[in-house]
Amino acid sequence: MKRIRFVSAMMALAGAGLLLCPGPAAAQTPKSGGSLNIMLREDLSQGFAIHETSTISTVWPAMPCLSNLVIFDPAKPTESAETIVGELAEKWSWQDHYRNLVFFLRKDVKWHDGKPFTSKDVKFTFDMLREAPDAPGKLRINPRKDWYSNIEAVEAAEPYTVVFRLKRPQPSLLLMLASGYSPVYAAHVNPAVYRTGCIGTGPFKLKEWRKGEFADYVKNPDYFVKGRPYLDALRYIVIKERGTRIAALQSGQLDVSFPGETTKTAAEQLKKAVPQLVVTPVGQMVNDNIILNTKKPPFDNPKVRLAVSYAIDRRALIQAVHQGGAVPGAAMAPKPYGVWGLMGNTLAALPGYGKPEDMKAKARKLLAEAGITPQKPLQVEMSTRAIPIYVDMASFVINELKQVGIEASLKQIETSQWHATATRGEYQIGANLTGIGVDDPDGNFYENYACGSPRNYSHFCSEELMKMVDRQSQEIDPKKRLEMVAAIQKKIEDEASRPMLDWRLDYFTHWPHVHGLVAHHNIYNFGRMQDVWRDK
Amino acid sequence: MKTYLVQRLGIGLLTLVGMSIVIFALLRFAPGDIVDILFSTGGYVRPEERIAIMKELGIDKPYTVQYAEWMGQLLRGELGMSYNYGVPAWEVIRPKIPVTLELAVLATIVAVLLGVPTGVISAVRQDTTLDYVLRVVSLAGLSMPSFWLGMVIILGMVAWLGWIPPITYVSPAENFHMHALQFALPALAVGYRSSALITRFTRSALLEVLREDYIRTAWAKGQSGRIVIWSHALKNAMLPVITVIGIEFAFLIGGLIVTERVFNLPGVANYLVEAILARDYPIVQNLVMFIAVVVILSNLAVDLLYGFLDPRVRYGD
Repeated sequence: MKRIRFVSAMMALAGAGLLLCPGPAAAQTPKSGGSLNIMLREDLSQGFAIHETSTISTVWPAMPCLSNLVIFDPAKPTESAETIVGELAEKWSWQDHYRNLVFFLRKDVKWHDGKPFTSKDVKFTFDMLREAPDAPGKLRINPRKDWYSNIEAVEAAEPYTVVFRLKRPQPSLLLMLASGYSPVYAAHVNPAVYRTGCIGTGPFKLKEWRKGEFADYVKNPDYFVKGRPYLDALRYIVIKERGTRIAALQSGQLDVSFPGETTKTAAEQLKKAVPQLVVTPVGQMVNDNIILNTKKPPFDNPKVRLAVSYAIDRRALIQAVHQGGAVPGAAMAPKPYGVWGLMGNTLAALPGYGKPEDMKAKARKLLAEAGITPQKPLQVEMSTRAIPIYVDMASFVINELKQVGIEASLKQIETSQWHATATRGEYQIGANLTGIGVDDPDGNFYENYACGSPRNYSHFCSEELMKMVDRQSQEIDPKKRLEMVAAIQKKIEDEASRPMLDWRLDYFTHWPHVHGLVAHHNIYNFGRMQDVWRDK
Repeated sequence: MKTYLVQRLGIGLLTLVGMSIVIFALLRFAPGDIVDILFSTGGYVRPEERIAIMKELGIDKPYTVQYAEWMGQLLRGELGMSYNYGVPAWEVIRPKIPVTLELAVLATIVAVLLGVPTGVISAVRQDTTLDYVLRVVSLAGLSMPSFWLGMVIILGMVAWLGWIPPITYVSPAENFHMHALQFALPALAVGYRSSALITRFTRSALLEVLREDYIRTAWAKGQSGRIVIWSHALKNAMLPVITVIGIEFAFLIGGLIVTERVFNLPGVANYLVEAILARDYPIVQNLVMFIAVVVILSNLAVDLLYGFLDPRVRYGD
């Protein structure tokens, strides 16, 4: 009962936090003109080439330049199939029992260099992404190829109609197309050009990218949404030092923070110093998790894996590592931040969510069954990326494991080596962070849990699990699919190859003169800036 | 003089060759390369993509070939292409050089203006309360890292004034007043630390000179304290101080990393760290060579200054 109360309390607290924040200024009439200074914590990695990166440091500053076929409604923080709105597509239609997705494109769209936007651009982009044999464009790296693996063909028979033909029904495709990671590139521009510049159809045109300093945008006068954007200019300013970033926001040199940047503690300090700042608690769609190498002893033993999951007190971790700035959840983000997450009794019954002493007793029992006792403790190496947000979590977990008889030593891996090391499986146990590009089971499960996926860092492969994932992917009835996704999440936690610890929150901050900028529960999917205006 | 100059420049050239080998080797021995960075930002790089990128950037070639190509580029006055940005490395480096040079020069001026007079006063008023106070202040300067001081200044200003210097670079042509404000605080933070060193060297060198016979003679002749101290004593005490100033200036060119970062100045030192983290070999290699050239030239300038300050110094012709 206490477990249920804890989970419910966490959700209620998070919900209350949301209610405390001022909502969008719906009653006010937007004003045109002015500019905004927006925070960047590092330079644009690979320029504006969103399709060649998986980092918010590219997506956030490149968003105003580009457009998607469809996008999650900028005015709604929670993202789901119901909040998708058209962008380059005026309307769309699922046909042939979710086997064909037809987009009807806008006819009044021009690229920033004046050339008209047509269905050829859409075909070019998505043939390039799925690496079709006859694709004219090629990316240097293509991290999200798997998102489009179910597309059999992209047909652009008419200039303003595109048909995505699928191998099997996949309702999730539309959500992936709405992600900030899915902009349309220009067919007449070499994809490599996006690493140094940006030719888009978005509300703002790139004026200058001074490397390591800032990216400047000006209003696109030919933008296809009449009367938008409101602002004349945007400047994304790179500030690498965290203290300076906060000081710049506090002093008003920055108008808007960076998604995922503001912790609960930092937000409280900022609010204390400048009470008029607007702080909105939102989900980051980034989770803390433990990766266990299931291909090597001792974590090839399910009992040992489960013991690790039982040993970690999620409630204590959220308080100690995040000062309360995170929420518990399984493989999918919990409500109200996500649509699919486990809630209530189901979540409370998972390993690590109960009374700490009971959970640890269960962990010791499981370890004893695997031949590990206090007299004969298990010694392992805990690997993690050598940056504080990883190391803090790893240190907490090491302490938890010690209490059940697992002695872990910390191995910090140089940041550039971390993902490669995890993909190669050159570790025993690791403390990891995972960002989810879109709150959708396909986007998450195929990427992080599928057999053979490079980001399935635990290398856990279950035929049964994959069948469950495939079945939910094709399910059209949302209610049935929700149940199937819940069962998958439970199975994932029971297998304990990648125990989920928490979902991080962001305390997105901006000055009160900034209006129309609604932070989403996913750092990757907002920031087009077309509806943003200032009244100062 | 000519022979001396040729010798020094020859040694400087050898030093540069040595430096180029060291930095080239260190970068290659450090774990990870640009493809690992792309792996990290992309989340995954397939083996065939890795091979293609390595080939495109030329990092699949043997090290000896890569080194020879770099040297060839330097001789032709080229710096290669930045791996991270895909544009000529010079295009990335060029705007950053004046920022660091300006900050280093300003910090050195602050250090000299603070350090020399303080050292003189401290020596002249040896073992008085004023001397103790100045020594404590200089010791504090040596003990406080300039980046820490910089951060304290920033946080103090935002807390008490609600203001900090501009966070994007303002050129003097754009707005001289803002430019001056932007550089004043970091120059003070860095200059204060360097001034502490100069104070201590000035004090000890001056104390030694003040005990010389010719100073005693000057006092005996009834010359004013100002002439004795500033014209006779200080000129002769300046040789070690000049050496320290030269070393400090050279150190600042590469040592402003955190100060530039704290004040968000787009300088060489700040960017060098980013380039190292991104394994952007052309940028790192050429920036290190630039810093080495500045160090060699500033040391040479200091040695040449000796001759002007002390006529007894001769340059082996």
